[in-house]
Amino acid sequence: MALILKFRNISIITLFIVSITSSQSWGDVMKQGMEIFNEKAGCAACHVLKHAGSKGNIGPNLDYSKDSQNVAYVKDMVQNGLGVMPAFGNDGILTPEEVDIVSKYVAKVAGK
Amino acid sequence: MKKRKNNINPSRRKFLTGSATVAGVAAASALVPIKVSYANHTASDAKGLPGFIKWKKRSSLIIHSDKTMETHREAIGSSVITPIRHIYIRNNMPTMTDAQIGKKSQWKLKVEGVKNPKTFTLSQLQNLGRTTMATVLQCSGNGRGFFPHKPRGSQWETGAAACLIWTGCPVSAIIKDCGGLASGAKFLTATGADMPKQLNPKKALVERSIPIKAQKDAFVAWEVNGVNIPNSHGGPLRMVTPGYFGINNVKHVGKLAFTGKESSVKYMKSSYRISPIGKKGSQYPSCWEMPVKSWIVSPLKSAKSGNLVVSGVAMGGTKKVSNIKVSVDGGKSWKKAKFTGPDMGKFAWRRFVFETKLKPGSYKIVSKASAGGKSQPKLRMENRRGYAHNGWLDHGVNIKVS
Repeated sequence: MALILKFRNISIITLFIVSITSSQSWGDVMKQGMEIFNEKAGCAACHVLKHAGSKGNIGPNLDYSKDSQNVAYVKDMVQNGLGVMPAFGNDGILTPEEVDIVSKYVAKVAGK
Repeated sequence: MKKRKNNINPSRRKFLTGSATVAGVAAASALVPIKVSYANHTASDAKGLPGFIKWKKRSSLIIHSDKTMETHREAIGSSVITPIRHIYIRNNMPTMTDAQIGKKSQWKLKVEGVKNPKTFTLSQLQNLGRTTMATVLQCSGNGRGFFPHKPRGSQWETGAAACLIWTGCPVSAIIKDCGGLASGAKFLTATGADMPKQLNPKKALVERSIPIKAQKDAFVAWEVNGVNIPNSHGGPLRMVTPGYFGINNVKHVGKLAFTGKESSVKYMKSSYRISPIGKKGSQYPSCWEMPVKSWIVSPLKSAKSGNLVVSGVAMGGTKKVSNIKVSVDGGKSWKKAKFTGPDMGKFAWRRFVFETKLKPGSYKIVSKASAGGKSQPKLRMENRRGYAHNGWLDHGVNIKVS
């Protein structure tokens, strides 16, 4: 019984630590993601995204489409581009990590 | 999620090549009964539509994004002509605003590659020559949603297509007024005036070149279905290239040039190329002439046993659609259907009906059109971006008859 309680305590502590870590990481993703969106990648010039305060009207309004809430979909677009949208990943405009971060950011905040 | 079979026909590589001589087309007759909806009002069910198309009928549209919307399969109606409030929306550049366009009668069209280059205003074009023609306007990617490899881009099924009546000035009249073509003209190149100035023209300018032979039928239009072309459909002046995919019908057209080479911008050189999956490049065919195609419009899901009218549309691309067949057993046996409604020329689509009697059960209803000696293939031509789908199997409908 004591052993089970011990394991339970360890599990709870582990969950707590993981939760804190992922919470901090997620905060970083949101902050860095918005920076990449508005500055390095310049997504803001072409897209509406309320969370980032952007009002670009060349590409789709990211708050309008459910596709924008799908991280795999967004990442594919950022990586490969489409039409007038540059291939931010393939063309080396963003690092793989930056592609990942900005995609997660957009998928998290789009439509909210 | 719908299941889609992976039906591959790799042998179909050259279906866009070759074209019969394009003869004149019958002008759309004012005598036929055509329902025309007007563009200059806000639709009562516009809720959820972006501001630039508040006048559209929301319930007729499938929304892919705020800039890409297709017509519900049944919302093309049973007339030949598609109501303007139902027409699909697909723009590569943002729709120009009234402020950007300015006084519409003073819209300018620059003409180059002729003996006497000129710039015309819209008013001048309206007094230079006039033609009225019905054409199918179809996005190159119409049917992309049927490709199992999920090509990137809007997942259009049948609704990125419409049959419309345009009025405008023939390109041939413009050429004549400019003293004829300069030597070496091989392409008709149209340029849109809608690119925002901050963008790089090489990457963002909508400029499309089509073979010079297309100038016989091409015109610049200011009217569609009886109204001035709305900004969202490329007004006040739009290139119309009968029989060619939608991208060649350049919106907000500001320049026509008769050129020796195809344009070198991205939208001509690398985009809209029909390449094998995994490959891309300007060596592959451009989305030019549309192939023969048809699809069922009704019924779409279910029907009562007994008498049943199956209806649909059939188009021939640059050739007159000559024959339409329907199968209710997934293509095992075919019967001839009949065309209905007015024949509005070879660039328009024809409505067809097939009258049958069905017992309760499940049916796969498909249609197969023929034009210029060619019939629709069973399978799509697999290609990277999911362009030019005209296979009959994917366009069929599964019906439960009770």
